Amino acid sequence: MGASKKESVEVDKKKNSKKTQPTKKEKHNTEESVLAQKQEDAATDYKELSADDDSEDYKSVGESEAGDGESSGDEGNHKSGSSEGLAIDGQSEDSEPDQGAEESDSSEDEVAPRNTVGDVPLEWYKDEKHIGYDIAGKKIKKKERQDKLDSFLANVDDSKNWLLSPTRPSYLLYLFFSQYLELSYSIVPISVALCEDHELTERGVKSGLVRGMNSGVYFEMSHIGMTYLVLRPSLGDTTFNGSKSRRKIYDEYNDEEVELTKEETKLVRRMLKGKTPHADFDPYAVLGLVRAIRKGFIKFDKPKEEPRFYMLWGDDASSSEKTGHLSYIPAPKPNMPGHEESYNPSLEYIPTQEEINSYQLMDEEDRPKFIPKRFTSLRSIPAYENAVKDSFERCLDLYLCPRVRKKRINIDPESLKPKLPSRKDLRPYPATCYLEYRGHKGAVMSISAEASGQWIASGSSDGTVRLWEVETCRCIKVWEFGEVVQYVAWNPLPELPILAVTVGQDVFLLNSGLGNEEIQRKVKELLHVETPTAPEDSGNKVSGWSWRQDDEHEGIRLRHFKSVYSVEWHRKGDYFSTVMPADILFFHYHLIAVLFLALESIVLCIVMKSIIFHPTRSIFFVSTKKNVRVYDLLKQKLIKKLETGLREVSSISIHPAGDNIIVGSRDGKLCWFDMDLSSKPYKVLKCHPKDITNVAFHRSYPLFASCSDDCTAYVFHGTVYSDLNQNPLIVPLEILRGHASSDGRGVLDCKFHPRQPWLFTAGADSLIKLYCH
Amino acid sequence: MAARKKHSSMVPRKKHYRPPGKKREGNAARYITRSQAIKQLQVTLGFFRRLSILKGIFPREPKKKFKGNNHTYYHVKDVAFLQHEPLLDKFRDIRAYQKKIKKAEAKKNADLATLLRTREPTYKLDKLVRERYPKFVDALRDLDDCLTMVHLFAALPAVERAKIDVELIHNCRRLSHEWQAYVCRTYKLRKVFISVKGIYYQAEIEGQKITWLTPHAMQQILPDDVNFSVMLTFLEFYETLLGFVNFRLYHSLNVKYPPILDPKLEALASDLYALSRYIVSNTRTSTLEPKAASSSTSEQLEAKEKEMQADESELRLAQLQHQLPSNEPGALMHLMEGAECENEDDQDTKECKRLFKNMKFFLSREVPRESLLFVIPAFGGVVSWDGEAAPYKEADQSISHQIVDRPTQGHRYLSREYVQPQWIYDCINARIILPTEAYMVGRIPPPHLSPFVDNDAEGYIPDYAETIKRLQAAARNEVLPMPGVGKEDLDDPQNLLVEGYITRAEANEAAQTKKKMVTLEKQYHEELQSELQGAIMKKSKQGSAEHAKTSEESVPDTKQIAEDIDTMSKLGMSRKKRGLLEAIEKGKERNTARISKLKERKKKLKSSEN
Repeated sequence: MGASKKESVEVDKKKNSKKTQPTKKEKHNTEESVLAQKQEDAATDYKELSADDDSEDYKSVGESEAGDGESSGDEGNHKSGSSEGLAIDGQSEDSEPDQGAEESDSSEDEVAPRNTVGDVPLEWYKDEKHIGYDIAGKKIKKKERQDKLDSFLANVDDSKNWLLSPTRPSYLLYLFFSQYLELSYSIVPISVALCEDHELTERGVKSGLVRGMNSGVYFEMSHIGMTYLVLRPSLGDTTFNGSKSRRKIYDEYNDEEVELTKEETKLVRRMLKGKTPHADFDPYAVLGLVRAIRKGFIKFDKPKEEPRFYMLWGDDASSSEKTGHLSYIPAPKPNMPGHEESYNPSLEYIPTQEEINSYQLMDEEDRPKFIPKRFTSLRSIPAYENAVKDSFERCLDLYLCPRVRKKRINIDPESLKPKLPSRKDLRPYPATCYLEYRGHKGAVMSISAEASGQWIASGSSDGTVRLWEVETCRCIKVWEFGEVVQYVAWNPLPELPILAVTVGQDVFLLNSGLGNEEIQRKVKELLHVETPTAPEDSGNKVSGWSWRQDDEHEGIRLRHFKSVYSVEWHRKGDYFSTVMPADILFFHYHLIAVLFLALESIVLCIVMKSIIFHPTRSIFFVSTKKNVRVYDLLKQKLIKKLETGLREVSSISIHPAGDNIIVGSRDGKLCWFDMDLSSKPYKVLKCHPKDITNVAFHRSYPLFASCSDDCTAYVFHGTVYSDLNQNPLIVPLEILRGHASSDGRGVLDCKFHPRQPWLFTAGADSLIKLYCH
Repeated sequence: MAARKKHSSMVPRKKHYRPPGKKREGNAARYITRSQAIKQLQVTLGFFRRLSILKGIFPREPKKKFKGNNHTYYHVKDVAFLQHEPLLDKFRDIRAYQKKIKKAEAKKNADLATLLRTREPTYKLDKLVRERYPKFVDALRDLDDCLTMVHLFAALPAVERAKIDVELIHNCRRLSHEWQAYVCRTYKLRKVFISVKGIYYQAEIEGQKITWLTPHAMQQILPDDVNFSVMLTFLEFYETLLGFVNFRLYHSLNVKYPPILDPKLEALASDLYALSRYIVSNTRTSTLEPKAASSSTSEQLEAKEKEMQADESELRLAQLQHQLPSNEPGALMHLMEGAECENEDDQDTKECKRLFKNMKFFLSREVPRESLLFVIPAFGGVVSWDGEAAPYKEADQSISHQIVDRPTQGHRYLSREYVQPQWIYDCINARIILPTEAYMVGRIPPPHLSPFVDNDAEGYIPDYAETIKRLQAAARNEVLPMPGVGKEDLDDPQNLLVEGYITRAEANEAAQTKKKMVTLEKQYHEELQSELQGAIMKKSKQGSAEHAKTSEESVPDTKQIAEDIDTMSKLGMSRKKRGLLEAIEKGKERNTARISKLKERKKKLKSSEN
């Protein structure tokens, strides 16, 4: 096949170069054959030209066509008639009759003798649907005009026709198309184009003006105002042949390069394939087809449209397959509109003008986004100006907002609160203010309960220390110091009712004057010290203190070189320690029993807050600003450091069992440390809005308390279990109020009664209160 | 690979040390930022946006935002999901094709350009719909946004610059009408609410509550700061989704989809009516036959028949072809099933169906016709309007209600009632026929309340809601308990949480004891004082005065105690729980503030009236 193609191409070229002058007879021949071919093709259904993807269809069509062309002459005949009829229809009047006659003549002469139209003037059939009768007597119907396109195409492609044709079929095609596309009504007998110049005038276009040109024939049809140039095909000029540039054809006539899309090339090739040899190499054939396709004269069946919608969810039951993809989180639905969004809401939903004005003063974010409005009738509602914007914002939310699946908390707030044992079961605890001790003129700085629980001592900023009887509120004794009393502390031994009082730089050990005569005698003995001896002994060690007998107050006076903050007794009453808020801790041994003051001091260069002794072991706790240090007294070294995590520790207290301590802080937090558990707090209770001034454990009851500058004291239940696996139980029991604030200070001290579950509080309002169960 | 393994086995790697270029772990491995995702997919941001909208991919929140807060994070699997989407390739093809067209245009090759335009590659989204909604119920669940958007676009003008073309809007209109026709025909509509923003509708289909918003039939404003391409991408998906949903719903009614409408009605912009007629005639012809055979003709059917005779005209031809399949025996069986289904309608549907039964409405020109044409038949009413192709004219004597929205009504027929359109909506939400006096022409109708609010949960009940409640009760022949009695019953276990109740009781008790103590204490003090002052004489007089004082003081004291208990219970909570509780309390506070404001306004209004 390939070889034959080549040959024919060669033939083409030959013909081309020679440009043989065909005789008139030959021309007639070609003309006829062309026409015949036209009709024949017209017979084939238009739809078969569809550009379906499978090319096989197409091939078969082409083959059948070819077969037809060879075998059936009669078809060609009657169709030629039809074409003439059409020509008559469209052609300008002057050219019609003779042309028609001529063609019919020639068809009778040469093509198969089956023409049944006869010599009848074609005008007769003008208004009929048929053009004649075939051999069986059936009407031959006129063909539609556009069929010609097809017939023409096929005609061109017919190899037989090709061979017969003296001129290039591509001429015909090109001319045909260029005419067909320009002229709106009819086809000029195109075979004219094949002729020489002089013949042009003879046939068809009588008034045509023809000029010979280099490469083709130029003629003008003045009566329709059209000019045509018939070009000689010159294959050498086109670039169609090269495999790479196959899709570009140079159109000499329009002087432009036509570029074919991939699909077009495919289509054209398919259309020309297997018809004439090398037809698809013929640039003009291709060009013509392409033009026709582009202008839409060759129509292709569109691919069958599937229905856009179908049953997508046929059987839901089967579609439960897992996607194997991340879980889809559906977007939350927009909020439902409330009453206020109604076009006619109840009047109370509409804000007043002042309220609306006040919205303007609000922060942008706080400002309500929707201001209710009222319309008295449906017709008065205007268009909502933010409709599109709202929708757009929703769109943005849908595709831009990160989605997280969050559990909707629909819990009852009560259930959040921890389950605590009923407070009824934890009784007794101090709950109500029972007694008030009045007498101080200034803020009561410190109080201390005597070991028997019968007496309390209080030190105040008015420079007095008072001794009260607990149950009667009676002030037994008053010591005047003339300076602010910082701290008072009873000796923990009931048989030694000695009171330690810190005033400025001094620590006084006072005889309270309580107890029977024997006790009094003992105490007096203890408190009688020879003044000069001790300082000389210890002067070289620590020069910061001195002691002497104080006759005015019947006690001993210890003078420090800095103001003393507090005094703490050892549980046995043998020793006490003093704390100076300035950097250094002095630690005194007071061996009162021997009436001799032996002294050793440990100097720690740490900012001191407060200290306590361990109730059973020889350990003591020193609180610095942020931590609590635990020292062994015997080994005289650091055992442990407790990290409070507080801003500033203010007070510290130890559980009577000795394993738990509580620490109060300046930021109102109370930490419970379990010494066995960790060096971090077991629990932090944020109870006070202001500084905690003091914390205290009860000696026997499982109670502890904290007091603060916010004028309140909290009472907690704190059970420590002997089972190490069980954590201490902490239950807040009561908030005790009653003190008034003065100078921004509230409750300054709190102490438990040594036997009863009672709490003493000392307030800045110069009152001492007793809270009982 | 093997070498690396060997290496790793030899040298024990530290857990947190990651050599440069090695695999990430944790959040950094599971999530990538948007720009990373775009880089990985090799697409532009616009493409990515489009694809993620169509695929329904959304950013996720990693536990730790490894790149900072101002990044959008996508899950790696989500991005991989996008990467394997065939649509991605399709988009690339389309883009390449667009370039071809552009090139042809640039070379002034108009022929080629037009030719190329005719064959642009297209894509379909049906697979995506199926993928995103494996079950029909899933699709229904997510239909809210879809319907709102489609309804909005159905009301928008075609704008060239925003690329909103006429076809799109027509398609939206068609889809929305098809949806409404289905809802209307199957009586699935439940609630309607006219807000300033538009009209909210809520339907219940297959147990799913679907709410959508339609804008008021006005000229919509197109703001400049809206990116329409985003909206159009959403719309593109929504159109497909709604099409398939409609198909499925129509299929369940044995009606062919897409429906073929009477062109005349369509031209008159009463598509909805045309559609509903289409559905009715399509389904009914089929239902009639078996019923006739069983010779049991219900009233409803008769009514329908009448109606049908009235409007069966040019539609007949167009519909005949669709009825053909329904005449087959198989189809008949289907129809029987359909009839059964109707019997199985839930209580709600039955109630809705009966609401406007035996009522005939006529709409004046000025009322929102589309909405009412949708709503009234959805609750069993018959409706006509002023205009061409209306089923019956204004002069029809059987009309029971005429809906008007004008200050005065000139000519009145005595046989019918003239009401404002709000009456219809209020009736629907209340599910009873409300008295029409308040809705007469020229009056300001009573407040229109939202049916989506749970009044009890809200804490504030507008007056009109109470009125409606009473009317409803009356309609049900029930007697409501007097307001204020039933509610505050302390025995109600739901309202009172046991815990809370107990603590409160305890607090009260404590307060009482405290009060006693305080009085005792005072007495004691006083005695002491008097003792000290030696003024025993005045004791009795002062005592009585003090008593009065203490009783006064004790009232805030109880409050104080309750507060104390509250704060103390908070003490033992963990920080997280405390925060939660505080948030809850804040919310409650806000709510009570809102309610108190409403009450205050109401009081003011009342006082100003008086």
